[in-house]
Amino acid sequence: MADAEFVVVRDLRKVFNGHTAVDGVSFTIERGEIFGLLGPNGAGKTTTIRMMSTTLPISAGDVTVAGHSVRRKPAAVRRHIGVCPQELALYLELTALDNLVFFGRMRGLSRREAAAQAMENLELVGLTDRARQPVAKFSGGMKRRVNLAIALMNRPELLFLDEPTVGVDPQSRNHIFDTIEGLRDGGMTVLYTTHYMEEADRLCRRIAIMDGGRVIALDTPHNLKARYGDPERVTLEDVFLRLTGRRLRDAG
Amino acid sequence: MSPGPLARPLALAGKELKLFFRDHQALLFSLALPLVLVFLMVGTFGGQAAFHATAYFVNLDSGPAGAELARRLDALPEITVKVLEAQDAERRLAASDVVNVIVVGEGFSEDLAAGRTPPVTVRQRGNGGTEGQIVNSYAAAVIREMMGERQVARRVADVLAGAGLPAPPGEIETRVAALFNEARAHPPVHVVEEAVGARSEPVAIFLPGLVTMFTLFAISLGAAVLVEERKKGTLERLMATGLSRGELLAGTWLGTFGRGLFQVAFLFALAWAGFRIFTPATFGSVLAFGVVAVAAVSAVSLVIASLARTADQAIWIAVFTTMVMSVLGGSFFDSSALKGPAAVLARLTYNHWANDGLRRIITRGEPLASPGVLTDILVLGGIALVSAAVAAAVFRVRGDEK
Repeated sequence: MADAEFVVVRDLRKVFNGHTAVDGVSFTIERGEIFGLLGPNGAGKTTTIRMMSTTLPISAGDVTVAGHSVRRKPAAVRRHIGVCPQELALYLELTALDNLVFFGRMRGLSRREAAAQAMENLELVGLTDRARQPVAKFSGGMKRRVNLAIALMNRPELLFLDEPTVGVDPQSRNHIFDTIEGLRDGGMTVLYTTHYMEEADRLCRRIAIMDGGRVIALDTPHNLKARYGDPERVTLEDVFLRLTGRRLRDAG
Repeated sequence: MSPGPLARPLALAGKELKLFFRDHQALLFSLALPLVLVFLMVGTFGGQAAFHATAYFVNLDSGPAGAELARRLDALPEITVKVLEAQDAERRLAASDVVNVIVVGEGFSEDLAAGRTPPVTVRQRGNGGTEGQIVNSYAAAVIREMMGERQVARRVADVLAGAGLPAPPGEIETRVAALFNEARAHPPVHVVEEAVGARSEPVAIFLPGLVTMFTLFAISLGAAVLVEERKKGTLERLMATGLSRGELLAGTWLGTFGRGLFQVAFLFALAWAGFRIFTPATFGSVLAFGVVAVAAVSAVSLVIASLARTADQAIWIAVFTTMVMSVLGGSFFDSSALKGPAAVLARLTYNHWANDGLRRIITRGEPLASPGVLTDILVLGGIALVSAAVAAAVFRVRGDEK
């Protein structure tokens, strides 16, 4: 498996009760790349991520991660991936350390290994001194950082980040960006979804824009902007609105 | 060294228990409310371990002995004497306010002093009730005691008179009374009460039903927690770790089982401390039986979690299940005595088998190996296995999965 094809998404489809949510999506992600997946609400981003991360059955097509097929070898794929969902998928009543150790143990780590990895991750997201406090007492930004730290408990090669900065203050957002860039520099591959175009512009080497369950554009931020004028003047948000239109989207 | 096959289910169960012990509302509901209800029911139906009754007493005696009889009866820890006027007593008997009245006749003191059988009448409705009959026995015993004292005093007086040693008036009666008082204070036989298993007090009868009901309630409501995990995304995150559906259900079942077992052990231990309704052997049997009962109800909880799509649905299913099973299954009465369709319906509930087993152990003192308790254990084990199989078959990680 070449580094250029660390993740291969091939003609991916998902049909719910006759409604096609994802319709023939294809792209590849290089090892060590931060790949952006953008799109309005209901475009099929989260459904795509859920299929790629093995938690939603695939209707047609396939995804391979590090050479393992999601359809045929989901257990092998899970060993390579970490998922940071859009929701705060953690236990607010437990401490940050308890949360990380618990998910580490779910990843098959021993208690000792999980505790060591948890402390390393908490240091990475700047929460070492709050390790033993209940997450319920944390600010929104701190909770998001715990959410991210949990996704790193198995030292994944591919990290799914589904809108990791929703509702956080600028300081926490900046900390999360630094963390993600640090992870990329360490060789981690990241699939990143967001509604904040400036985030995608800053972090992503390439971006796929989805609408109606399809990929309607895929390129570097610079090339996408160049399609509509001077890349120094055109913003990614301009590109996004030109491609997806200005109609309001209320679907989740 | 890689963790064993039970590592993940055990870690899941540990997380469930941590959350339970940090949830003050859950603790209050699971542990404190059942106790409040037990105390209320015991207070309502009279749950004191020792017998106690009121003796309604009419004293027509013209001398002091009638009053002395009332005083001695009242001094007994089992009896409280309520003295009534004759007319009031008749009115109350007519109205069935009281069913048993001891009437001391006019010549009671005189007959007692003369060594004749004193006139005492018991006026009662029907047979005077069980309490009345016991009160009458106490009264008869005290009267015999008074007659014995008088007899001893007379014999001593006769002996002294025969020996030409007449005593001052009242001296012999006083000294004999003092000797009898001393004998009562230091009885030659000391009786110690010791519980040996079979009990019939209200607390022993009601406790199993209440513990069963609240355990079912708390555990089935716990199903909402798993449903809630779907909503907040932790379930999907767990499934992305490589956790299998079997491990998830096993871990959830183990956590629920741990909560339930703690609840059962806590409530029965407090009942033992508060009401002394167990011996070490029966307590051990109750805990062992509780393991099977909680295993069954934990599996029922998994079925609820599997069926419900939302936390509200889970709560309503839990409430409905608990109410129906508790009413039909004998949480407030002994359902093993039911006949006909009611008996059939009762046997369809978890509560019937759990209550029956606990009552057999607590109130009848049956061992775990007795045929009745073994039947209950087998049925509960069956409920656990069938429920676990149903939960495994219908459980889905996301409602939208096909």
